[in-house]
Amino acid sequence: MGKKVLVVDDDPDVRLFSQAVLEENGFTPVMAKNGEEGEEMIRKDPPELIILDVLMPRESGIRLYRNIKTNKKFKNIPIVILSGIAEKSFLRSQKVLTEFGGDPVPDPEAYLEKPVDGEELADTIKKILG
Amino acid sequence: MNNTTDKKPTLRKMMFVTQFEELGFGALQSLLVLRSAGLEHVILMNVIERDRVAMHRGLGYDKDEERRLREQANIRFIDWAENLFEKGLEVGDYIVVGNVVSDTLEAAAAEDADLIVIGQRKRKMIEFFYSGDDIIELLRRSCRPVLIYKELESNSCYDACLADNPFCRTLLAVDWSPASLLAVEYLKTMKSVVQDVSVIHVASPKELKGTSSLNIQQLRKEKRGQLTKICDELEAEDIPCRPHLYVGEPVPEILRAAREFNASMIVMGSSGTSVWRERWIGSTPRTIVEKSPYPALIIPQAKEAADQTQ
Repeated sequence: MGKKVLVVDDDPDVRLFSQAVLEENGFTPVMAKNGEEGEEMIRKDPPELIILDVLMPRESGIRLYRNIKTNKKFKNIPIVILSGIAEKSFLRSQKVLTEFGGDPVPDPEAYLEKPVDGEELADTIKKILG
Repeated sequence: MNNTTDKKPTLRKMMFVTQFEELGFGALQSLLVLRSAGLEHVILMNVIERDRVAMHRGLGYDKDEERRLREQANIRFIDWAENLFEKGLEVGDYIVVGNVVSDTLEAAAAEDADLIVIGQRKRKMIEFFYSGDDIIELLRRSCRPVLIYKELESNSCYDACLADNPFCRTLLAVDWSPASLLAVEYLKTMKSVVQDVSVIHVASPKELKGTSSLNIQQLRKEKRGQLTKICDELEAEDIPCRPHLYVGEPVPEILRAAREFNASMIVMGSSGTSVWRERWIGSTPRTIVEKSPYPALIIPQAKEAADQTQ
């Protein structure tokens, strides 16, 4: 069994694509279709890496990212953001939330803009997980 | 959604339903004043109507067209979401193929939205005849407040507030129904954005017939007293408020009052009218929504505990 990677994305095409890439590269993919579902899965059985979309129903990636990175138990799980939302907007939103009294959070381990090349995604994960 | 009688209404999550041509980013931006009333989360929703991608003779379901429309909506939502994220708001989106009313209600229930915002599209007579009006149907079935957003034309400098804050000068129409009393509670949650409220009740001319002038004066005094009580409640929340009693047909009188007080929005309770009567005869909220140039915020009755998603 390869290292477990959680993909949190509401787009079924992206989930399918990521699953194929992860399996091809020897990882064990698990899927969640929104932030709420993803958070529940992380709490039940933490993965070794998370691929996270930003704009999703129920709970966005912005909120889930904060929840993970400010949680003692989960904050060291690396996160790759895979989104159509610009990196600058993501980072600015985290900064604003910190300014509004939230805990400061580090930048994500990697930020990939959709659509991503399968090879680029696999290389990014391999580089982070070693 | 906090819409039951024992809970105070809140305004944390807003669902913004758009087909883009009737409701754009400008409208969304003007509603961000609600942040000071507790707004934290915006749900963007676009419903691609089934007949745009299906039922074409000889073609069947047009998957490519669906993909194109989805991506078109996605591109806009990403742009809007970036802007909202940067302001520290939580944002989610739904792009679905289906029916505007059912899918909106379903998503609003899943998200537990506190407010649904929708624009009014111009429909052809034939569309109206076959499918009715989506907004009227939404109002009938929603257990959540619905804001029918309309761009008000501001033609003078007195209305600098209109462009920035559609809630600034509110006309609250009351008939003392449970829904209209809930509307009072709802306005209290918006005290940080509502700058001024005019509370109006339209008395029927029938109530004035065949009675002496003393009786008419008594009626006026009673109604005015009831309106003043509502004003006292709102003023206790630091919302400046004035009572007004009008006599006549409700819809034209409410619209007249909205003009006279330079209202930025009309707020009222939903109708308790039966479905049959609502469809064929109409109701005051329905006619206000259809005819008024003003944005209208319609508060449902508390007894409607759940959205009728089917």
